[in-house]
Amino acid sequence: MASTQAGAGIGIANLPNQRHAIASKKGSALTMMIAGESGLGKTTFINTLFTTTIKAPKNHKRRFNKTTEKTVEIEIIRAELEEKQFNVKLSVIDTPGFGDYTNNRDSWMPIIDFIDDQHESYMRQDQQPKRQELSDMRVHCCLYFIRPTGHTLKPLDIEVMKRLGTRVNLIPVIAKADTMTPTDLHKFKKRILEVIAAQNIQCYTFPLESDDEASTKRNMSIMAAMPFSIIGSTDDVLTHDGRTVKGRQYSWGVAEVENEDHCDFKKLRQLLIRTHMLDLIHSTEETHYENYRRAQMETRKIGEPKVKTVTNPKWKEEEEALRKRFTEQVRLEENRFRSWEQQLIAERDRLNKDLEAEHSHIKALEAELESMQLGLSPKRK
Amino acid sequence: MAHRIGRRKNVKKGFQFTLMVVGASGLGRTTFINTLCDADVVPKRESDEPEMAHVEEAIKIKPYTVELDEDGVKISLTVVDTPGFGDMIDNEYCFQEILGYLERQYDDILSEESRIKRNPRFRDNRVHALLYFITPTGHSLREIDIELMKRLSPRINVIPVVGKADTFTPTELADFKKRVMEDIEHHNIPIYNFPYDPEEDDEETIDENSELRSLLPFALIGCEEEIMVNGRKVRGRQYPWGIVEVDNTQHCDFAKLRFALLSSHLQDLKEITHDYLYENYRTEKLSRSADNLSD
Repeated sequence: MASTQAGAGIGIANLPNQRHAIASKKGSALTMMIAGESGLGKTTFINTLFTTTIKAPKNHKRRFNKTTEKTVEIEIIRAELEEKQFNVKLSVIDTPGFGDYTNNRDSWMPIIDFIDDQHESYMRQDQQPKRQELSDMRVHCCLYFIRPTGHTLKPLDIEVMKRLGTRVNLIPVIAKADTMTPTDLHKFKKRILEVIAAQNIQCYTFPLESDDEASTKRNMSIMAAMPFSIIGSTDDVLTHDGRTVKGRQYSWGVAEVENEDHCDFKKLRQLLIRTHMLDLIHSTEETHYENYRRAQMETRKIGEPKVKTVTNPKWKEEEEALRKRFTEQVRLEENRFRSWEQQLIAERDRLNKDLEAEHSHIKALEAELESMQLGLSPKRK
Repeated sequence: MAHRIGRRKNVKKGFQFTLMVVGASGLGRTTFINTLCDADVVPKRESDEPEMAHVEEAIKIKPYTVELDEDGVKISLTVVDTPGFGDMIDNEYCFQEILGYLERQYDDILSEESRIKRNPRFRDNRVHALLYFITPTGHSLREIDIELMKRLSPRINVIPVVGKADTFTPTELADFKKRVMEDIEHHNIPIYNFPYDPEEDDEETIDENSELRSLLPFALIGCEEEIMVNGRKVRGRQYPWGIVEVDNTQHCDFAKLRFALLSSHLQDLKEITHDYLYENYRTEKLSRSADNLSD
């Protein structure tokens, strides 16, 4: 192999700059899912992370207008962020209703189906003859918000996280971390990690080794902080030593969002945006999507639609109820038609009888007429 | 005023009071019980095996009895804990378990009253008040909160409280309390709201009860450890940004609730349980069996 070691070089070293120019112009697209019970600070966190109101806080005045539909919804919020002329198309997927009801059995189905549907949609589009304009909503990472109970993960958490971990980059997050003292938080994190390991929940990991020492150290400290404890706030407050920070003002002090002694917000932001956004996107495309595609290809041919199995028991009940109603309605209508038919037959018989009566009357008259004619005609002859 | 006269009579004998505590795990229920009794009444929850964390635990009903001394007055306090409430994926079953327990205590009294020869040592296990721990979401009441309070209030005095109230800043707490009370009114849930008669009662009673009513739902913080604050020992939680004190009325309503439960309103809660809630149950049950007989 010939190697060029000329003094000026031929310009291969400029390739990264060209790459940079192309990437800057193209921009990036990030799809992030936030899952967890309501009231854990998900909306506040997103607004804190991107320092802008991506999603408006909940409007409580409308809570009495809600219908009693006990469902989990999928809400997509889109935003375009720009910093120093670099664009990011951000999509945030929220899951309102998850974990909020008395009975949360199978409440993870809409979330899991959504993630799979995005992989499916991309796969189908990729198989089309024309594939320039792909709409890619594959979820690049899922932040799962854990309630700060101080005990351990709940059975519901475990069920969902197990299913999420195999489909998407799962990042567990301890919400409202300012509820716990540092010792409690440390114990809680440890216990969560034990449960994650024992239950085989796959969380997001990334290669720690890097070219420079500083990056490696930073990567290791980020990994060590998992699950990330966070405090969210979009308000500016004044600390006791005169600084203005984003934080929460209690009667007993100010909990600061960006203070690394108070929570892991900075580390998480670093992970999501500054250092590992591309890794999140690539691993979704290269690992999770490929896993999905492989699993599907093994059983389906190209172009064949996905077999949808409706296993939701709530739907089965509804289906049964609808079927019952339908048969009931049909029965009622049939009865109605039958009685109508009876009426018509009775009417017809009655009319036929009348007709016959008239007929015999006419015959009688005809006979009379004939007998009268016969009576007359002999006279003429 | 009647309850104050009664107090003087019973001071030497002491009082008996049964309190039930219900709420999802992780809301500070156990810590509250221990803080209330100033002792390790309920043992700390054993750390479960991580391999078994996915197994759903059904609700259990566990009574603990403690002898307390409140300013010279002896109180035999029974606290009924309900671990496992709301922890399963499907929690429909929890309500019936608790309701069943409460009604069984009423059944015991009913059968005892109907005896020809009554047992002088009979223990009255009726529960006089239920503290329901609302999850501090910051939004409003959840479905399970509404369901539980609705189903249990015909049988017991329900007092809603907010657990782990140090989640909230002062404004957030005030907003949350307001929304919770709006929800309670909207769903017509008859909670115990420190009733008073504006015409019959004296001004002191009216003020006392209105103040307690305005604090509903009580914001609670629980803590069993003592820490040093400015040279004195207090029960509190130490955060990197400050210290929350359990007994400081600026920080939470624990002290006020404790006084209401164990001193000022103890008799009222017992009287309502006996004169009203138990009587209703008795009427319903006896009419039902009368109907069954006549069928």
